[in-house]
Amino acid sequence: MAGTGSPRSEPRVAGTTGEDRRLEALARFLAEASGAARVEITGLTPLRGGAIQENWAVDAYISGGAFAGEQRLVLRTAAPTGVAASLGRIEEFAVLEAAFAAGVTVPEPLWASDNLEIMGKPFFTMRRVEGTAAAHRITRDPALDPALPMIAGRLGRELARIHTIRPPRADLAFLAPHEKVGPAHQIAGFRAYLDGHPTPRPVLEWGIRWLETHIPPPTDPVLCHHDFRTGNYMLDGIALTGILDWEFSGWGDPHEDIGWFCSKGWRFARLDREAGGIADRAPFYYGYEKESGRPVDPRRVFFWEVLASIRWAVIALQQSDRYMIGGERNLDLALTGRRASECELEILMLLDPGGVASGA
Amino acid sequence: MRDLPTGPALLALARDVLLNELMPLLPPMAHLEARLVANSMAIAEREAISGAAPAQGILHELEELCGEGSEGEQGFLGRFARDLRAGAFEEGEPRERHAREILWRLTIAKLRDANPRFLNANGFS
Repeated sequence: MAGTGSPRSEPRVAGTTGEDRRLEALARFLAEASGAARVEITGLTPLRGGAIQENWAVDAYISGGAFAGEQRLVLRTAAPTGVAASLGRIEEFAVLEAAFAAGVTVPEPLWASDNLEIMGKPFFTMRRVEGTAAAHRITRDPALDPALPMIAGRLGRELARIHTIRPPRADLAFLAPHEKVGPAHQIAGFRAYLDGHPTPRPVLEWGIRWLETHIPPPTDPVLCHHDFRTGNYMLDGIALTGILDWEFSGWGDPHEDIGWFCSKGWRFARLDREAGGIADRAPFYYGYEKESGRPVDPRRVFFWEVLASIRWAVIALQQSDRYMIGGERNLDLALTGRRASECELEILMLLDPGGVASGA
Repeated sequence: MRDLPTGPALLALARDVLLNELMPLLPPMAHLEARLVANSMAIAEREAISGAAPAQGILHELEELCGEGSEGEQGFLGRFARDLRAGAFEEGEPRERHAREILWRLTIAKLRDANPRFLNANGFS
């Protein structure tokens, strides 16, 4: 996706400020990684949308080597505080490389570094893809409506491609073994989190108890994206340009990703469209089944959909903790904690559909 | 004891000023943050109006279900949560149903303050 043209600004004077030094260090890194004679950073702009990671749009003019010319990149690094379950950037880069090699539509991974002298923390770069990931826009835009079932089918196929990546994989050896991240361990993790949380959450406890007593039989693990949902893919018009945000990836039951994609927390403006707020389940499931050759088991999806609501509730509380406990002054994070009750309503609607009249 | 307008009325007015008078003057990159501010004010306004009555009603029900031995909102909710984790209500239908009713009331009461639009979208008034 190399662009054309020349650098937008005059060369900077190195070493005068911390930002200048950072840009110089980044330029040196990019030059070495790309085999260029010289790289000039012509733009470094923070991108919105990464609640857990920081993403920067990097415009670079590369002189020499295979990447010569203007390059539009994204640099991804960690926010000041994060969620414990997420991978480090170097690990996320390895997962992205594996997905790219498997034919999944992702921004092409380019270079990673754990040298703290460049950006102050590990980071990786990838090509910048065009389009929007704005979930409310995607689920609201009437111009997209006719194409959304097709997009849902495409997403089903993409997910099936992700699930072709299976253990053992030497390049993904850092991922926890499946038996250590399966439902029983997730349940234990939820409970451990709630034990340390200052406010009791009876609905979550009730839902977790249901999970504990309904764990499905084990299945062969696959690579799960673990955050495959509307808001984490880019659309340029009706064209899918990239599956984003691989920081939660790990081995798991393939139905885990399907349940997460369909859970109500990720339907945004269209709760009635059960596949990610963009379509019925049918085209999404069809795309998945056609690509994978395996049927989707609705009972397993239901289990993972209940777990998805609990997981989303815990993530919402953890996001709020970043403000309440971590001191990260961010109104969006603070408000996210209030969304846990939305997940709790969904847990009740899933597990006690006849209880509405008596409880309301 | 307090002077008028009330706190909730001031929040409603301030929110209206923010959304209808200040928002058009803000650069587009500040609109999301402004909407988050307005949303926070709306939650604070609804909580101030609903007061403590919903929580007290639920606590009374919890006392009926769980019996004595706990104190205050955190105490009752904590005990309820622990009992649910242990499956304590799964042996008898009336108590199990009562526990579920409390879970519904608790959740709906929270969402009436935090996100009534979400409640409506799910078929609750």
